[in-house]
Amino acid sequence: MITNPTGRLTQGQFSFLPDLTDEQISAQIKWALAHDWAVSIEYTDDPHPRNTYWEMFGLPMFDLKDPAAILMEVNEARKTFPNHYIRVMAFNSTRGVESPAMSFIVNRPANEPGFGLVRAEGPGREIRYSFHSYATDKPESERY
Amino acid sequence: MNSNGSGQITDAAERYKSGVIPYKKMGYWDADYQPKETDIIALFRLTPQPGVDPDEAAAAVAGESSTATWTVVWTDRLTAAELYRAKAYRVDLVPNTGPGTNNEAQYFAYIAYDLDLFEEGSIANLTASIIGNVFGFKAVKALRLEDMRIPVAYLKTFQGPATGIIVERERLDKFGRPILGATVKPKLGLSGRNYGRVVYEALKGGLDFTKDDENINSQPFMHWRDRYLYSMEAVNRASATTGEVKGHYLNVTAGTMEAMYERAEFAKSLGSVIVMIDLVIGYTAIQSMAKWARDNSMILHLHRAGHGTYTRQKNHGINFRVISKWMRMAGVDHIHAGTVVGKLEGDPNMVQGFYDILREPYNAMNLERGIFFDQPWASLKKVMPVASGGIHAGQMHQLLHYLGEDVVLQFGGGTIGHPMGVQAGATANRVALEAMIMARNEGRDFLSEGPKILDEAAKTCSPLRAALDTWKDITFNYASTDTPDFVPTTTGSI
Amino acid sequence: MSDAENTPSDVNEVDIDAVYKESAIQDVLDRLDAELVGLVPVKTRIREIAALLLVDKLRRQLDLTAGNPSMHMSFTGNPGTGKTTVAMRMADILHRLGYVRQGHLVAVTRDDLVGQYIGHTAPKTREVLKKAMGGVLFIDEAYYLYKPENERDYGAESIEILLQVMENQRDDLVVILAGYKDRMDKFFESNPGMSSRIAHHIDFPNYNPDELVQIAKLMLAESNYRMSAEAEEVFSEYVKKRMEMPNFANARSIRNALDRARLRQANRLFNSRGRMLTKVDLMTIEAEDLLKSRIFAQGTDESTQDDDE
Ligand SMILES: Nc1ncnc2c1ncn2[C@@H]1O[C@H](COP(=O)(O)OP(=O)(O)OP(=O)(O)O)[C@@H](O)[C@H]1O
Ligand SMILES: [Mg+2]
Repeated sequence: MITNPTGRLTQGQFSFLPDLTDEQISAQIKWALAHDWAVSIEYTDDPHPRNTYWEMFGLPMFDLKDPAAILMEVNEARKTFPNHYIRVMAFNSTRGVESPAMSFIVNRPANEPGFGLVRAEGPGREIRYSFHSYATDKPESERY
Repeated sequence: MNSNGSGQITDAAERYKSGVIPYKKMGYWDADYQPKETDIIALFRLTPQPGVDPDEAAAAVAGESSTATWTVVWTDRLTAAELYRAKAYRVDLVPNTGPGTNNEAQYFAYIAYDLDLFEEGSIANLTASIIGNVFGFKAVKALRLEDMRIPVAYLKTFQGPATGIIVERERLDKFGRPILGATVKPKLGLSGRNYGRVVYEALKGGLDFTKDDENINSQPFMHWRDRYLYSMEAVNRASATTGEVKGHYLNVTAGTMEAMYERAEFAKSLGSVIVMIDLVIGYTAIQSMAKWARDNSMILHLHRAGHGTYTRQKNHGINFRVISKWMRMAGVDHIHAGTVVGKLEGDPNMVQGFYDILREPYNAMNLERGIFFDQPWASLKKVMPVASGGIHAGQMHQLLHYLGEDVVLQFGGGTIGHPMGVQAGATANRVALEAMIMARNEGRDFLSEGPKILDEAAKTCSPLRAALDTWKDITFNYASTDTPDFVPTTTGSI
Repeated sequence: MSDAENTPSDVNEVDIDAVYKESAIQDVLDRLDAELVGLVPVKTRIREIAALLLVDKLRRQLDLTAGNPSMHMSFTGNPGTGKTTVAMRMADILHRLGYVRQGHLVAVTRDDLVGQYIGHTAPKTREVLKKAMGGVLFIDEAYYLYKPENERDYGAESIEILLQVMENQRDDLVVILAGYKDRMDKFFESNPGMSSRIAHHIDFPNYNPDELVQIAKLMLAESNYRMSAEAEEVFSEYVKKRMEMPNFANARSIRNALDRARLRQANRLFNSRGRMLTKVDLMTIEAEDLLKSRIFAQGTDESTQDDDE
C-alpha cells in the first residue's frame, strides 16, 4: 500500500480531499464547460508518475452543454474499469495554453499497490533512481 | 542661431563648436518625436536638482544613456549621430508631487532609443546603456527606471524562459492549481543528512517542491554535493510514496560559471527536474544558465536575492517590473515576485502588475497596476511567479484571489513551523489549497467564504485545523513603499 | 406519525406571483399565442404543463418533495403542423421553469442515432444523448427507429439505450418523439416500454383554411411583406385548392407558396423597370403573383414549378 499520509496515489487536483461525489464531479465539469474546455476521461492500471499517456476512454468531448453528459461517461468508465485509476481532464485550447487545465482522479483500485524505489549505485556515491509500479508485476490483462 | 522646434541647434558648425552646451540643444530632446515600433522606450522617474529644468534633466538622461558625454566631441560627426541619440520626447509631472503638495516635484520622462543601439540577445548590453551611467548623474537628484517598452524585434533576439509555465506543468503533471513549495529552514546550519529529512517530509506530506535558500551554496556545514545527494534521495523517496513528480530547487549559485555548470550537471545526473540560481550572479550568468536549462530540459528557478537594494525606494533605483521584464527575456522559469499578503514589501496592484508581466502573452497599458506601455511578448514563454515570505494556509483564499492559479505558493515557515511537524504542515497546505480550488470551481465566492471553506476542510484534516489555529492572527500590516501613482487612494499591504 | 405533522399549516407561505414573474413564463406563453396560429389543444396542454411545473417549484420551496414528474412527450400530427416549432418553444419553457438546466434542443432522426455495423450504434446514440443533456432531444419520425421487418436492425439497440436514459436520467434531459399519428401509434404498440415512458401525448390537428391564411399573413409580416386585398382573396382560393392536392403539408406548404410568390413579385417588379418603385410596391404581393401558380393554371407550363405543388 502507498504510505503517504493519504494512503493513496496523490496525483491530480483533489487527491487530498475525500473522494468526490457525483455531484461534486458534476460541479467541476460545469466549471470546465463554462470555460469551453474539452473534457476527457482516461484510465490506467499503471499510474507511474511519468506515465503521461493513460488510455483514452473515448475521444475528448467537445461542444457539450451539460455536465450530466460527461458524468454519464464517467460512470460508464467506472463500470467498465472498476479497478483502474480513472481521471477526468479538461483541455484548454486557448492560444498560449493549448494544454490541460484540469486533471482529477474519480476512480481508484480498492487496493493501491504503489511503487518501489529502485536505486542503481554508481561511483562517487552517485545514485540513479527509478520507480517500479508494483501493479505492473502482473501481465497487463491480470492486474487489479 | 538656427534651431528647430525643440530648440535643437541644427546648424552643424554651431552644434559641434567645442565646449559645453545644454543636452536639450544637442538633440536629446524632441517634443515632436513619434517613437518607432522598433524603438526601445524607457520611462524614468526623475527628480531634478533644484533649479534644473525637467526637460533638460530628461534630455541629459537621454544623452548620458546613449551617445553623449559631458562635452561636445567632434568624433560625433563621423557617425549618423542623429540616429544614435536617444530622444526624450515627453515629460509629465508625477501626480501628487510638486507645487501645492508636500512632495518634491518628480517627473516621468519618456526616452526612446533606436534599436541599432543594442546588441541582440544581451541583457548586459541593454542594461549597460539604460542604467549604465545615468544613476549617478549630477543633474538629477534621484532617478528610477519605472518601465520599459521592449519592441518585438528585440524580444525575438532573446531565448526567453527555458521551459515556461505550460511545459513545466506538463512535465510535473500538475494542472489546474497553484504549485506548492517550501524553503528548507533553518536557512543555514543543517547537515546534508538532516536537510534531506526536511525535504522528504515536506514532499511526502503533499508539497510539490522544496527549495534551497538563496544563501545555501556550499558552506562548511554542508557541501553542495552532500546536499544534492541527500535532497535527491528525499525527492525520489517522496515520489515513490506518492506517485507524484516531486522536485527540490538545487541552488547552483557559485563563485564562477564553471562551478555553476558543474553543480547543474550533477543535479541533472541525479535526475533533478529543477535547478536554482540567485539574481546576484548577474545578468550574463543568468542568461547562460537559461541556455543550459533549455539545452538540458531543466526548469530554472531564480531567487531575486539583492533586488530590494534597488527596487524598493520609490524615487531611486529600478522598479521590479523592469527586472521582471528583463528576467523573462533572460530566460528564467520561476521568479519570486511578491505575495501581496506576506511579510515582504508589495502593494497588491503593483504585485499583480509584476505577475501580469511575467505570465501574460500581451500586457495592455494599465496605470493602476503600474504598467505604462502596451507590451506584446512575442511568444516568449511565460514565467511562473513564486510567492514566498510569511504566507500560511489560513490565507489560501486571498492568495488564490490575488495571485491566481499559475503561481508557486511557497510556505516555508508555514510548513516547517507546523506544531505537528513538517509532514503535517505540508498536508495542511495541500488540503487547504485543494479545498479552495474545489470551492472556486464550484462557483463559490471563495474570497469572502474563504475562512468557512478552510474550516470545513479542516474537519477531515487535523493538520489543517492546527495550522489555522496556530497562525490565525498573523498578518503583516505595514504600508508599502512602492505604491502606484495612478490609484485614487493608495492601498496598503494587507 | 401524529396527525398534526401531516396537517398543512399556514406558517409557510410561498409567493406564486413572484415565482411566476421570475420565470417570465407568461412572456413565452404570450408569444406562443401571438406567433402560432390555432393549435388550441396544444396550447392548452402546454399551459397545463407550465402550471404543473410552476406548482412543483413552489412545493419544492416548502420541501414538499415529490420527485420530478416525467416530461417525455410525443408530438403526433401531419407534416407542417408545427411539431418542430413547438418542440423548440417547449425546450425554452422547460428551461425557464427549471426543469432542464440548459434549454437547448437537439433535433435528430434515425440516421443520427443508428449505425451501419456492429458496435456503431451505441456510441452514436450516446454521442447524441450527451449533446442533448441539459436540454431536449427531439427525434423526428421516431418510428423509423423500429424496423420489425429486419431482425438484425440496429435501431432496437438505440431504442434500448434511449429507454434506459429516459428512465434513469429524467432530470438530465427530456425526449420528444415526433411523427405522423398512425405510424406513431403503431410504433408505440410494438414498443410498450417506450409508450409507458411518455408522459404527454400531444396531437397536432391539421389547420383549417382560415388558419392557413392567418399563418400566411403572419409569415409575410415577419419578413416585411403584405398581401393586397385582392391577393388575399386569391390566396384563400389557393389554400382551398392546395389542401385537396397531394403532398399537402399544412403550414410548410404555405411557407413554400409564399416563397414562390415572392419570386414572382420580384420578377414582376423587375419587368416594370422605367418607373420609380415605392416602399409599398416592394412590400406588396399582388393577386397576379399568386394567380400564376400552377394550381390556377392547370395544364399550362409553369416556369416556377416545384415539388410541393
Ligand atoms: N401555428 C403556426 N403558426 C405560424 N407558423 C407555423 C405554425 N405551425 C407551423 N408554422 C410554420 O410552418 C413551418 C413548418 O412547421 P414545423 O417544421 O414546426 O412543422 P412539423 O410539424 O415539424 O413538420 P414535419 O412533420 O414535416 O417535420 C415552420 O416554418 C413554422 O414556423
Ligand atoms: Mg418537423
